[in-house]
Amino acid sequence: MLHVVFYFQVHQPYRLRHVNVMDVGSGRSLFDENLNRSVMHKVTQKCYLPTNALLLDLIKRHEGRFKIAYSITGTAYEQFAFYAPEVIESFEKLVETGCVELLGETYFHSLSALYDTNEFLDQVMMHKQLMKDKFGYDTVTFRNTELIYQDSISDLIFEVEGYKTILTEGVDRILQWRSPLYAYKNYSKDITLLLKYYQLADDIAFRFSNRDWPEYPLTVDKFVNWIDHLTLSETGKRNQFLNLFMDYETFGEHQWAESGIFDFMKHFPAKALERGNIGFANPREALHLANYQQESISFPDAVSWADEQRDLSAWLENDIQRNAIETLYELYEKIRRKGDEHLLREARLLSTSDHFYYMCTKYFQDGDVHKYFSPYDSPEQAYIYFINALADLEERLT
Amino acid sequence: MFTWEFPPLISGGLGMACYGMVKALLKQGIKIDLVLPTKEAVYFPLREESDVDDMPTVFIDPKRQKQFVKLTFTDVKEKLEYIGLTQHPETYLQLNEVTQYIKRFSQLHHNERTILSETYLWDEMALHLIGEEDLIKKVQEYTLRAEYYATHLEYDLIHAHDWLCYPSGMLAKKLSNKPLIVHIHATEFDRSGGPGDERIHKIEHAGMMYADQVIAVSQYTAQMIMSRYRIDTGRIKIIHNAFTIDEDTNFERQRIFHSPTILFLGRITLQKGPDYFVEVAEKVLKVHPEARFIMAGTGDMGRKLIHKSAALKLRNRFLFTGFLNRQQVERVLRASDIYVLPSVSEPFGIAPLEAMAYGVTAIISKQSGVSEVVNHAFKIDFWDVDRMADTICHLIENPDICRQIGNEGRQEVHLIQWDEAAEKIRRLYASTLAAYIKNQGK
Repeated sequence: MLHVVFYFQVHQPYRLRHVNVMDVGSGRSLFDENLNRSVMHKVTQKCYLPTNALLLDLIKRHEGRFKIAYSITGTAYEQFAFYAPEVIESFEKLVETGCVELLGETYFHSLSALYDTNEFLDQVMMHKQLMKDKFGYDTVTFRNTELIYQDSISDLIFEVEGYKTILTEGVDRILQWRSPLYAYKNYSKDITLLLKYYQLADDIAFRFSNRDWPEYPLTVDKFVNWIDHLTLSETGKRNQFLNLFMDYETFGEHQWAESGIFDFMKHFPAKALERGNIGFANPREALHLANYQQESISFPDAVSWADEQRDLSAWLENDIQRNAIETLYELYEKIRRKGDEHLLREARLLSTSDHFYYMCTKYFQDGDVHKYFSPYDSPEQAYIYFINALADLEERLT
Repeated sequence: MFTWEFPPLISGGLGMACYGMVKALLKQGIKIDLVLPTKEAVYFPLREESDVDDMPTVFIDPKRQKQFVKLTFTDVKEKLEYIGLTQHPETYLQLNEVTQYIKRFSQLHHNERTILSETYLWDEMALHLIGEEDLIKKVQEYTLRAEYYATHLEYDLIHAHDWLCYPSGMLAKKLSNKPLIVHIHATEFDRSGGPGDERIHKIEHAGMMYADQVIAVSQYTAQMIMSRYRIDTGRIKIIHNAFTIDEDTNFERQRIFHSPTILFLGRITLQKGPDYFVEVAEKVLKVHPEARFIMAGTGDMGRKLIHKSAALKLRNRFLFTGFLNRQQVERVLRASDIYVLPSVSEPFGIAPLEAMAYGVTAIISKQSGVSEVVNHAFKIDFWDVDRMADTICHLIENPDICRQIGNEGRQEVHLIQWDEAAEKIRRLYASTLAAYIKNQGK
C-alpha cells in the first residue's frame, strides 16, 4: 500500500515597518500593522477560507479515508485571531473530523534551532502549548522551520515530551540510492523520519500553472498514474509513504484559482482511492504503518526545502543575513538577563525566518521566488529596516 | 547668474552656497537675474534680500506670463514645482532639438568674427557638449535657452556656477560681449575621485579659459585648477564659501542613542570617502563597542557599503538612514556627537560647517577647502583611518573635551558668514567691470 501523506504549512510573519534610525527609542511599533492586516485579509479570501471549505468537504465525503496534516505557526494563529477569526473556526472544524493531524514546530517559525538551543526549546514548547490550548491537540510529529533538519535537531526534539516523528526534505545528496518513499530512523534510531518527495510535491506547489513546463497542464489522471507507477518499485508488502509537503498558500495564492488548482484537489482523492493500492495517512500513523525495520539515516549538515540547493543559503548565505541574525541572537542573551518580557516578545517576532529570506541576494532562478515573497524593494532595504529594529530593541534595553 | 541648484527644492552643497551668496549680494545692493534648469522657460529677477525666499518668477513667453500671474500658490515650493524645478533631473529634450541646437551653434560660430584662440575654446565646449545622457541633454536644453536671457535681459556681468552652466555663460558672453565670471565649486576630478569624464574636463577648461575671472572656493581648488587645467593664476580669485545660519533652526541637542554617536552625512560616493568611514568604525568599535555610527545619505556606493559593514560584523552599531529630507537631516545632526568628513577631494565642503553649528565636533579631511577656514576641528588625511579612529576614541573617552571643542566650533561657525564673502565678490565684480570698461575704451 502507498500512503499519500499531505502536510500543509500555514504561516504568516509579522512584517516590519520601514524602521528608520530616527525612530530608534521613539516607542513606535516596529511592525507594519496595515500591511500585515491587508495580506491576511487577501490570503484569507484567496486561500484559507476556500481551501479549508474544500478539504472539509473532501474529508466528509470520503468518510475517514482522506487525511491531511497542518502545521500552523504561532504568528499565523495570532494574526488569524486579530484579523480573520473565521479562519480559526474553519480549522477547528477540520480538526474535529479526526482526519487532520496538527504538527509541532517553533511558535515563531524561527531559525533558533541553529543559534540558540534554549530559545528553540522554549519556542517549541510554546507552540505545543498553543495547539493544546486552542485545538485541544497533543502534537506528536515535529517539523522544523522550512523543513530545516540535521542530526542534532533530532537530539533536541527527542528530549521534548511526546515527539516521535520528524518531517524533513528528501534531499538527494543525503538519500543517494535510497528512496524517500519509506520511513527511516534518525541517526541515533530514536525518532522516525518522513522525507518529502520533492519532485511530485513541487509539481503541485511550484509548477502547476507553469506553461513552460513540458507536463503542463497537470491533470488528476496524469498525477495518479505517476503515483501508481511509484508503487511498482515495492515488490514485497512494505508500506510506502508519498510525502507531499507544501505551503498551504499554494492553493489560491501561489497558484491562482484560475489555474484550476482547486479542481485538481477536488478530484484527486477520489481518483487516487479508486486504484485500491493508494491511500492517505497522517504523519503520526507512520509509526505503526511502517511494517519493516527502518533504516537509520544521518544528516550531518543542515538541509531544508528551499531553493534548488535545499540548504540554508536562502536565509544564511550572505553577509547581511549573517550579521542580522548573529546580532539578533546576541541581543537575546541581554534581553533574557534583563528579564523584559515585552522586549523578548519583540525579539521573538524578529526571529521569524522570513526576515532573513527577504535579505537573500541570490538573483538567479530562485531570486525570483524571493522577490515574489518580499514586501521590500531590495534585500538591502530589508536589512536596513531589520538592523534599525535591532538598534531600537537594544536602545530600549539600556 | 546661471546656476544649477537653488533651495528650497534642491539643497545640495552648490544650492546652499548659491543661496547664501545671492542673499548676501542682494543685501549689498546688487541686482541678480537668476536662471535655473527649470522645465518652463522662466527666470527669477531678484532685487531684495527677501526675494531669495519668495523667488519672484517671470516667464519668457508673455502669454504664459499672463496666465502665471493669475495663479496663486500656497508656498514657494509649490510654485517651483509648477515651473518644473524638480529634485531629480529628468529628460524632457527631444532628439531633434539637440540637432537644432548643434546647428544654431555652428551658425553663431560662423556669423561672428572671433579671434583664433576663442574659436578653439568655443569648439572645445561645443564639441564636447554632445551625448545622450540625461544630464548632458539637460545642459544642452539649458544652454539653448540662455540665448534668450543673454539678448533680452539687462545686465552688466555674467556669473556662472560649475560646468553645467559654463556653456550658458560662454554663450551669453559671446552674444552680449559682457564680462564672464565662472565660479568653481567642484571639478570633475573632485566628483569622480579619478580622471572622470573627458567631455566634462574639456567643457570646464573651455569655461575657465573663456572667462574674464575665475572664482575658486578654496586654496585647495585653486591649486587644482592651476595644476590640472593650467589656468593663469592672475585670473583666479579665491573666495571661500561661508555658511548661513537659519534663525528658525532648532539647534538643541536631542539624542537618539545614549552612547556616543558618530555621523557621516553626504552622498555615499567615492568622492566623499564613505568607505574610510566604515573602516574607522570597525577600528573604533573594537575599543568602544557601545559607539553608534550613522551613515546618512544615498549614493552609488550605498549597497556595497551595507554589505561591507555586515561583512565586518559591525552588528547594529553601524546604521544607514537612506535618503533624508531637511527635517531629518536636522534630527540626525541634533543627535550626533562627532561628525566625520573623510572626503578624498572636497573643493569646499559646507556640511561640516552645518554640523559645527549644531555643536557637533567635526573631524575633516585635510583634502578639503573647508579645512582652510576652521580652526576648532580635527584635520586628518582622508586615508589615515588609524588617526581618525584614535581621535574618535579619544573624544569618546573624554566627553568633556568633545563637548568643549563642539562649543568652540559652534562659536567659530557663527563668524563665517556670507557677508564677508559677498563683499569680496562685489569687489571682484567692480574690478572686472572696470577692466572691461577700460578695454572697451581702447
